[in-house]
Amino acid sequence: MSSTNQFSRRKWEERLVGLALLVVCVFAIFPIFTTITISFKEQADITRKPPILFPCDTPEKSFEWSACRWAVEGYQRVFAPKPDENALLGFKLTGNLIRTYIPNTIMYAFASAIGVTLLSSLSGFAFSRYRFKGHDALMTAIYAVTGIPLITNMLALYQMGIVFRKNLPFYDDRIFLIFVYFGFYLPLSVWITKGFFDAIPRELEESALIEGCSPLGAMFRITMPLAIPGLISVFLMTFVNVWNEFIVAYLLVTKNEYKPAMFGLYDFLSQNIINLQVLAAACLIIAAPIIILFLFTRKTFFRAMVEGAVKG
Amino acid sequence: MQKNPSINRRRFEIGKSLPFWLILPTIIVILIVQVYPALYTLWLSFQEREPQGWNYVGFKNFERLFGTGLFPESIGHTAIFLIGYTALTLTLGFFIALMLKRNVPMTGFYVTILFIPWIISDIITGLVFRLMVSPDYGLFSGFLEDRGISVLIDSRPESLIGNFPFPPAPAMIFLILAASWRALPFITLLILAALQTVPSEVMESARIDGANGIQITQHITLPLIMPAMVVALFNLTLGGMNGVGMVFSLTGGGPGTATYVLSYFLYVLGWGQLRFGRAAALALLIAIVNWFLIYLVLRTTRINAKEQ
Repeated sequence: MSSTNQFSRRKWEERLVGLALLVVCVFAIFPIFTTITISFKEQADITRKPPILFPCDTPEKSFEWSACRWAVEGYQRVFAPKPDENALLGFKLTGNLIRTYIPNTIMYAFASAIGVTLLSSLSGFAFSRYRFKGHDALMTAIYAVTGIPLITNMLALYQMGIVFRKNLPFYDDRIFLIFVYFGFYLPLSVWITKGFFDAIPRELEESALIEGCSPLGAMFRITMPLAIPGLISVFLMTFVNVWNEFIVAYLLVTKNEYKPAMFGLYDFLSQNIINLQVLAAACLIIAAPIIILFLFTRKTFFRAMVEGAVKG
Repeated sequence: MQKNPSINRRRFEIGKSLPFWLILPTIIVILIVQVYPALYTLWLSFQEREPQGWNYVGFKNFERLFGTGLFPESIGHTAIFLIGYTALTLTLGFFIALMLKRNVPMTGFYVTILFIPWIISDIITGLVFRLMVSPDYGLFSGFLEDRGISVLIDSRPESLIGNFPFPPAPAMIFLILAASWRALPFITLLILAALQTVPSEVMESARIDGANGIQITQHITLPLIMPAMVVALFNLTLGGMNGVGMVFSLTGGGPGTATYVLSYFLYVLGWGQLRFGRAAALALLIAIVNWFLIYLVLRTTRINAKEQ
C-alpha cells in the first residue's frame, strides 16, 4: 500500500515540477512573444490607449478571431521593397537593414569566427601538448587579459582607429574591426580549445610520431580532426558573440555602409520612437537567424559555454 | 616525442620551436588589441589634453573624478544594480536548475525554450523590454500609469540613506529585470552542471534518515554546489559591471541620471564629454576591481580542484 502511495506522490510531484517549468518557460518567452505581436500591429493599434496585447477586439467583444487587424507595415518599412523588373521576385528590398547592415554583420561574424577558431586551435594545441618555459605564466596572463573591461580597451582602440584612418592610405574600418574582435574573443577561446585538446588522448599522436609522422603532420592529421566538434563550438560561440556585439562597432565604425546590424538597430531606435511596430520588426529580423542557428546547434553551444565558464 | 631517440635531430629541433610558432599569432593579436590598449589607458589616466598635445598631470584625473558628483552616484547605481541582478538571477537560477534536475517528461523541450533569451543580444533585450513600457503605448504602460509609475520618465525618488541612491528609480528595477532575464539561462546551466555532479547516494541516504526536501537542499545540495554558485556570482558581477549595451537601448542612462552605472558613466565621460583622461582613470579603477574578482574566481576553482 505504501509503495503505491509513494508512486502516486512521485507522479504528482513530477506533474507539479513540469507545470512550474512550463510557467517559467512562459515568462522566458513572453517578452519575445509581445514583440512578435507588436511587430504585426498597424499604426492605429500601436498608438492606442490603453494598449492591448492582441489587436483583435470589437466594440462588443474583447477578443474575436475574425476581427484581428494584423498588419505587415512594420516589416514593410524595414524591408522597404521596391518594384524591380530585373529582380527574381519582381521587387527589390531596399531597406538599409537588409541591404547593408545584416550583410555586414554576417561578414564580420564569419571572418571573426574563422580567425578566432584558427588561431585558438593552433595555440590551444600548443598549450595542451607542449611544456615549455613560461607555459603556466602565459596561460595565466591570457586569462588575466579577459579581466580587462572591454570599454577600457576601447579608449585606446578608438584613438588607434583615428590615427590609422589619418595616416594609413589602405586603412579600412572593417579590417580593423575584425582584428579587434579577434583580440577580444581569442583569450577565452584559447582556454576552451586547450580544454578540448586535453581531453584527446596523446597516445594516438605519439604513435603517429613513432611511425615517422612529423609533429605538424600528427597535429593536422590526427588531433585536429578529433577536435573538430570542440572547434565548431568555439566557432559558433564567436559567431554569436560578434553578431550580438554593439559597443565596439559603435565606437570604431564611422561609415554608414560599414555599420553592422546592432548599430543599425540603435539608429532605428532614435528614428522610430513612436513606430513601435517598426522597431519590433527590426529586432525580430536581426534576432531570428541567431535563434534558428541556436535551435539547431543547442548542444554544441552548451559545451563551449560550460567549458568557458568553469575554467581556472 | 622525447621518448623516441630515433627521431632525427633536425625534426626534434622543429618540434622544439613548434609551440612558439603556433602561439605567436595569438600572442601578437592579444598584445595589440588587449595589452597595448590597457597600458595606453594606464598612461592616459595621468595625462590631460592640452592644445599642443597630452600633458602629464599626476593624479589630477583621479582627484577630479572623485570630485564629480556623478561618480559616487554611479557607484551607488552599480552597487544596487549588481546586488539586485546577482540575487535575483542566482535565486531563480538555483530553483530552475533544481526543477530541471528532476528530469520530468519534456525537460529537453523546456531547456530549449528557457535558453532562447540567452542568445538574444543585449541591445535587442533592451529594446524588447523598452517596447513593453514605452511611454503611453507600451503594453504595461497603462497598467503602471494607473499606479503612478512611468518607467522611462520617473526620476529617482528622494534617497533615504544619505547620498546613496536608494530606493532606486523604476527604470533601474526594470533594467535589473531585463538583465536577469537575459543572464538567467546561462546561470541555470552552470548550476545545473554542478547539481549533476552531486552523487545521488548522498541524497538517498539523507532521505532514508528522514530528512525532508528543504533540509536536503539546505544542508546537502547547497554546500556541495557552493563553488559553482560562487563562480556564477563572479561571472554575473563581471558581466554586469562591464555590460553597457542594455543601458544604451533600454534607458540611455536616464531618466536623468537614474541608470548611470559605472560603465555607462565611463562612456559618457570619454565619448560624450571627450574627457579621455578622466575616463581612463575610471577605466583603470574598474579594471582593478575586475582583476580582483578574477583572482577570487581562480582561487575558488583552484581550491575546488585540489579538494577533488
